[in-house]
Amino acid sequence: MSSDVRFTDFKSDKQPTWCPGCGDFGTMNGMMKALANTGNDPDNTFVVAGIGCSGKIGTYMHSYALHGVHGRALPVGIGVKSANPDLEVMVSGGDGDGYSIGAGHFVHAVRRNMDMTYVVMDNRIYGLTKGQASPTSREDFETATTPDGPKQAPVNPLALALAADGSFIAQSFSSDAQRHTEIVQQAVEHDGFGFVNVYSPCVTFNDVDTYDYFRDAIVDLDEEGHDPTDRDAAQKKIMDEDTEYQGVIYQDEESEPYNERHGLDENMADIPDGAPEDATDLVREFY
Amino acid sequence: MPDDLNWAIGGEAGDGINSTGKIFAQALSRAGRHVFTSKDFASRIRGGYTAYKVRSSTERVESVVDRLDILIALTQRTVEENMDELHEGSVIIYDGERTMMEDFEAPEGMIGLPVPLKRLAEDAGGALMQNIVALGAACEVANFPIENLDEALEKRFGDKGESIVANNRQAARLGEEHVVEELDHDEFDYDIETTDNDYVLLNGDEAIGMGAIAAGCRFYSGYPITPATDVMEYLKGRLERYGGHVMQAEDELAAINMALGAARAGARSMTATSGPGIDLMTETFGLVATSETPLVICDVMRSGPSTGMPTKQEQGDLDMLLYGGHGEIPRFVVAPTTISECFHKTIEAFNLAEKYQTPVYLVGDLALAVSEQTFEPEEFDMDSVEIDRGKLVDENEIDSWLNDSDQFQPHFPAADGISPRTLPGTSGGAHMTTGLEHDELGRRTEEQEVRIEQVDKRNQKVETAKNEEDWDYREFGDSDADTLVLSWGSNEGAMREAMGFLDEADIDVRFLSVPYMFPRPDLTEEIEAADEVIVVECNATGQFADVVEGDTLTRVKRINKYNGVRFKADELAERITEKLDAAQEVPT
Ligand SMILES: Cc1ncc(C[n+]2csc(CCOP(=O)(O)OP(=O)(O)O)c2C)c(N)n1
Ligand code: SF4
Repeated sequence: MSSDVRFTDFKSDKQPTWCPGCGDFGTMNGMMKALANTGNDPDNTFVVAGIGCSGKIGTYMHSYALHGVHGRALPVGIGVKSANPDLEVMVSGGDGDGYSIGAGHFVHAVRRNMDMTYVVMDNRIYGLTKGQASPTSREDFETATTPDGPKQAPVNPLALALAADGSFIAQSFSSDAQRHTEIVQQAVEHDGFGFVNVYSPCVTFNDVDTYDYFRDAIVDLDEEGHDPTDRDAAQKKIMDEDTEYQGVIYQDEESEPYNERHGLDENMADIPDGAPEDATDLVREFY
Repeated sequence: MPDDLNWAIGGEAGDGINSTGKIFAQALSRAGRHVFTSKDFASRIRGGYTAYKVRSSTERVESVVDRLDILIALTQRTVEENMDELHEGSVIIYDGERTMMEDFEAPEGMIGLPVPLKRLAEDAGGALMQNIVALGAACEVANFPIENLDEALEKRFGDKGESIVANNRQAARLGEEHVVEELDHDEFDYDIETTDNDYVLLNGDEAIGMGAIAAGCRFYSGYPITPATDVMEYLKGRLERYGGHVMQAEDELAAINMALGAARAGARSMTATSGPGIDLMTETFGLVATSETPLVICDVMRSGPSTGMPTKQEQGDLDMLLYGGHGEIPRFVVAPTTISECFHKTIEAFNLAEKYQTPVYLVGDLALAVSEQTFEPEEFDMDSVEIDRGKLVDENEIDSWLNDSDQFQPHFPAADGISPRTLPGTSGGAHMTTGLEHDELGRRTEEQEVRIEQVDKRNQKVETAKNEEDWDYREFGDSDADTLVLSWGSNEGAMREAMGFLDEADIDVRFLSVPYMFPRPDLTEEIEAADEVIVVECNATGQFADVVEGDTLTRVKRINKYNGVRFKADELAERITEKLDAAQEVPT
């Protein structure tokens, strides 16, 4: 790690093909700044992305990166971090990617509490497949596949994370660059699974959950004097469905990540040229 | 006096059948005898018929036969289930005082040997030891010195304390004494020879696990499924000793993606599952290949489709392994044919995966997975293990793989199809990888020339491997014989023994056991040289036979078995004879 890394070092020379004004620009900038601010550089960073507009992030960033299949980015990140604990692992995806096809992996990644960061670009719609309802879409949100609205309750990802004993649960808004960066940075610094749900508006397909809507609706937890280590208080905020909060909602400062609990501190890439020295012991066990 | 002893214990699941059988198998192996074990089990935890069978000889044994000399029957059903294998003079040990066995009478010609298993066990300290009483009785029936049981009992019960071990020894002796005192010993015609040889006894899943550690595997993620779970259970606790980790994933989708992540980070990495899990993994299998990630994916086949018969043998996944997945996916498919080959081929699979940066399917089947066999420990020679990590590029070599803008080219279209690889943490090597079609930098593209270049590049790896590696078969029998038999997977053992039976009937065969399903040996010449070609496999449609016909443009005969039970040597010999007779009848 070098201290003179700038956030632009995490930028690739590929121009994003996101629609002009897409919330994902701001989300990504915050992620790059958070990585640089925490002393990482592209060569020790591994970014895993899912599928969707959001999933394209790995292409626009410069680091070791894998753009996987729909919904399965988290397990990839878990494998990377297990095998090489020296790497900074950041996983990113969309609300469809993370809370629909990948919902199972999400809950299990939270409870596994591997030391990594998960940033979800929540635009409450499927962007890349051109505007169908997502798990976080409002009950009455009209789309081509749900002309009368999904008529089912949206997923509350923060509640899922809290129920799965999440150790760091936060929410940010991509266009509040400073707060968003701070929050992602705290997630990176957290010892354990740092989860940030980012309101990242889709300017093309979602005319309800817009920049204006979020700008008006958002309440900053810091300004409210919320204590993120208070789990009960966190639960109240999370279950309050009428307010859009930004900030760290819950953090367990004592959290002991999976990799530490399991003593995963070696780089598994380092193996001997042949069988391990005492490998004949393995045979002897079968006498 | 027959030296080849076939012994079994059967009862209900939950009766401790497996551990009792294993103790006997270990006692025989420690007494320097070869052993081959098999299990009949149903997919339930308690209740339902279960048996553990042990075949033993001073000669090497490779399979099961249709014969049972001594049967410990804890239930009447055990006798019914094994009726076909029992023969005149077979001894059936049972507890005549047990309510469900009270009115049991040994079938005509067989010797019923009632032993009060429960009562004697209680005398030794507890009814739980009734199976051990039966083992003692069986030792006496077979004239197998009971001292041989002692070490096996120590191994099984040692960590429960010396007094438990002593009680079990006592239980075995009570069983033995009962047979000596109560029954006319001359009736039994068994006499087990012992030798000074030291053998190891293990099953195919354990051999795969041991091979993985030997090959430097450090990360394993899996989701429990019969019959692959033993691989995970073997690795858990052992992989950790070498700085590795076994992770139980939430499902197979996660398992393969975790393994993929660990492989990208540079670990030799593996996952194992059975058919239903392979279905779930197929989506990511394509990503593994497209991203050129080295990964070993082990499929221990069981009976399908869907959940099929989870505890039964089948070799029905070959088509899936060769062709599964959307789009065209370069891959290697390696299928060990014996338990010791499970070890060697696993090591090879890891080397192939890294040398060619390609997923490797390592294919086992239930019969290989759950059967144990004795081997000379030298068959698992750790000193001969070689590890080839392929084109791994470090900081010093990276310059030659950068483009004009100093970007690393992880998918550089090298002539042999194999690009350089950098592991995360290597400075200057940062790059993107994706399941989308990509250029040499790993970035998405839909440019026609680049698409063709990358597809050709990935396929070229297979061509390169075809030339550089040995994709040969294992050959047995008379290479000039008119009859050629081909098989894959666990049938090798049964077939090799079947050749003994065929030999007695003056039928000469050349037998090729093929451990490589893709790439695979070209069998055209061998087939042309033979008059009759028979392909033996445990499935209904003959998936390997189809492949062979396609490769060689020659029709072959098929012997298929898909009732859930593996081939037995004598049965296979019979079916081959039938096929040949039939062949002679049909005018050509
Ligand atoms: C297995 C599979 N099913 C469906 C798709 C099609 N697909 C691509 S992106 C996407 C939705 C992405 O939505 P979201 O995660 O909200 O991301 P966004 O595009 O809104 O950023 C879907 C369904 C796919 N790629 N793979
Ligand atoms: S469709 Fe929506 S989410 Fe996708 S790039 Fe455009 S604005 Fe962003």
